[in-house]
Amino acid sequence: MIFSSLLFLFLFLPATLVLYYLTPKRFRNITLFVVDLVFYAWGEPTLVLLMIVSVVLNYTAGILIGHFRSKKTLAKWLLAADVAANLGLLGFFKYAGFIGETIQMVLPFVSVPIIEVALPIGISFYTFQTMSYTIDVYRNTVAVQKNFIDFGTYVSLFPQLIAGPIVRYQDVAEQLCHRRENLQQFNSGVKLFLIGLSKKILLANEMGSLWDTVRETGAQAGALGSLVGIIAYTLQIYFDFCGYSEMAIGLGRMFGFEFVRNFDYPYISQSVTEFWRRWHISLGTWFREYVYIPLGGNRKGLGRQIINIGVVWFLTGLWHGASWNFILWGLYFGVWLMLEKVFLLKLLKKAPRFLRHFYAAVLFTFGWVLFYFEDVGEMGSFIARLFGAEGFFMSESLTVTVLGYLPLLLCSILLSTPLLKWLYEKVKVRPLRLSLDTLGTCCALLLCTAELVSSDYNPFLYFKF
Amino acid sequence: MEKEKPEMETVPLKSRFRRLPELLPMMIFCGFIFAMAIGYLLLPKEEYSPQEKKKLVSFPCAAPEQILNGTFQSELDTFLSDHIPGRLFYAGLSADYELCSGRNGSKGIYLGADNTLYPAPAAEGNLLKNAGFIKEYAEDSDIPVYMTVIPSAGAIQEQGLPLVHESYRDRELIDSFRQALGDKVIFTDVYDHFKEAAAETPLYYRTDHHWNSRGAFEGYQMLCTALGKTPLKREDFSVETVDGFYGTSYSKSALWLTPPDSVELWSDKAQSPQAVQVEIIDGEDRKTGNSYFFREQLANDDKYPVFLDGNHSLVRITNQDAPDGCLVVVKDSYAHALVPFLSRHYRTIVMADLRYYKKDISALAEQEGADGVLFLYSLTNLSEDNNLSFLF
Repeated sequence: MIFSSLLFLFLFLPATLVLYYLTPKRFRNITLFVVDLVFYAWGEPTLVLLMIVSVVLNYTAGILIGHFRSKKTLAKWLLAADVAANLGLLGFFKYAGFIGETIQMVLPFVSVPIIEVALPIGISFYTFQTMSYTIDVYRNTVAVQKNFIDFGTYVSLFPQLIAGPIVRYQDVAEQLCHRRENLQQFNSGVKLFLIGLSKKILLANEMGSLWDTVRETGAQAGALGSLVGIIAYTLQIYFDFCGYSEMAIGLGRMFGFEFVRNFDYPYISQSVTEFWRRWHISLGTWFREYVYIPLGGNRKGLGRQIINIGVVWFLTGLWHGASWNFILWGLYFGVWLMLEKVFLLKLLKKAPRFLRHFYAAVLFTFGWVLFYFEDVGEMGSFIARLFGAEGFFMSESLTVTVLGYLPLLLCSILLSTPLLKWLYEKVKVRPLRLSLDTLGTCCALLLCTAELVSSDYNPFLYFKF
Repeated sequence: MEKEKPEMETVPLKSRFRRLPELLPMMIFCGFIFAMAIGYLLLPKEEYSPQEKKKLVSFPCAAPEQILNGTFQSELDTFLSDHIPGRLFYAGLSADYELCSGRNGSKGIYLGADNTLYPAPAAEGNLLKNAGFIKEYAEDSDIPVYMTVIPSAGAIQEQGLPLVHESYRDRELIDSFRQALGDKVIFTDVYDHFKEAAAETPLYYRTDHHWNSRGAFEGYQMLCTALGKTPLKREDFSVETVDGFYGTSYSKSALWLTPPDSVELWSDKAQSPQAVQVEIIDGEDRKTGNSYFFREQLANDDKYPVFLDGNHSLVRITNQDAPDGCLVVVKDSYAHALVPFLSRHYRTIVMADLRYYKKDISALAEQEGADGVLFLYSLTNLSEDNNLSFLF
């Protein structure tokens, strides 16, 4: 089930709220766990079992590791086995086909069986969440969760189940058992949810259809059209992902949870290093905590640090999808991060500010080209087109489309900066601020519903019988 | 959530009320989603949407098998979208929002000057393939074959289009169509004349894709030259105007604020009322009328079917006042406004619509003893139609 659907907004959410708040406080996690399973099973009626397996596995592992924590070697082996099991499941369901194809590519004379499995929704997210728990139990930074329901609620919590943020167990351990829902938090959750919903429906979807049109235009798009297209995709992926995270955080607040922030205006960055501190923060934190620092981070000399950065960015790329282009995309950022670490950041400090913005914008925008095209041939021809191999100007028909989307494109660019937030915070007059809130709530609800409905409004006018 | 106000318990009463307006977003949000949920659960479900002319889906089957393979879930999405309370309001809101945010024409309809709605331009589509079918038909036919292609409103009344729009290539498309049609078909090109005439008065409806009675009259006058008839003049008709016409472009655009259009019914003053008979044949179903105008259709929002009762498989029009002669018209709905004018010159006109009439047209022409076969299509329909293979 996705948040931006009529089913979620007008049936699932109201029903869940009623059930949740009618349940006595002690039992609320049971309600939440059941609701989570329904939410997940709606999209994955069979693979919900896999998630339950994962919950049981890590729940048991947590108890065992906690129990044998004093026996270092045994605890280590238990953790290793748990991590291997988690990565094994993720590897099988997400990467089996990819690994098969890659081996086949390397060994063209051997027949490698290619396993085709459907990717269970959200598996990359919940696997990383459960691992954060067992690793932290091993490190003795969190207490063992003995209550199965509480643990199950943590893993399957529907707001962040499908697309993050990746909530580390230590960040919500306290809230799982002792949260106090209150109206102020609920209210701020509603506001954030609506901001996220609007980003997804009113901006991301529109930028997405502009990008689709550009791609369908093919060679006729020219360098200019391709540039507009990739900018549209850059905006789409930001508003889509950031919108989803904000909806998740907002929904979390409606049920008394406080999750970490996942996006902090990444597109105003002045370097790649800064970009990755602002983009998908929860994933960056996870890799830093559980991969980069355990590998030695920057404490073992520059040579080792560079290797560590390489490993982390290879994995970051791979995490995004089972295809070489994602690895290429990860390594691309890895290389820029290393260069910045070695000398570029010092150089950038001397450059004027607009140049630093421009530098970062060019790099992350181009990054999305690598991210989008899974087919290397298509990627190559798009890059060629972007650099003018098929002329500069776009076709007339594409120009008309682009002009139509131009107001939204410019709006999206402005809204990817903190400008609006800054203006909103300037408003100190209480009644004015309240009116803005109210107006914003009404507009967001009506427009988002209208856009959801109109995507299916398709009168069938020329028939007879 | 109403029961528990843990923070508030500690706050003095006065300040509690002071903080209430801050919770407005939450109250509006909850009010809205719960109202929609209750609307879904309690409101009766319609089976048919007259505005969209489509059957709405019914509640999907929730058997375990359907749930496990996901069909129930996806069908439920369609169900919810079909039956959302206030569906037309939301469709209209979305259309207005898209218009205001710069995307005029996003639903395939442009809003132009004077509240005129213009369907998006035709593409080449099946145009040349269809030209091939008609050419082949004409080459095998012993009786003369005539044809007219009606350009789209956007091409003819270009001055009324919004500044940014897809270009209407009607001139170019009609030319290439005509070329592919060969020499045997007697082709009447109305494009240039329409351009001139449209400078004085609109030839198309504001809220519908069809030509209006004036447009059909101009088309009729030009066709008469090809058919060798002397057309009636404008003064020979009395005109009755009916208001409140919301046509197909209106429904499609969802721009509900567009004011209604009007339909003109042109009646030949010299025509005796009893002389006309219209026989409508849809397979086994038969229906007759004694006027070109089916006035019961004027009760609907979409009033264009007032002309010859809209689309039917086969329609036979006899006019006892007209001289002997028979014309077979192979057509789309644009013909309905024009055929009443032509009826003044033929005792019998037989209209066949290939979307529903799937029998041999040359056999029909022979059986009726036709003096000619006229193909009458709008450019848009001609480029989209894939029924012309049923000519044979």
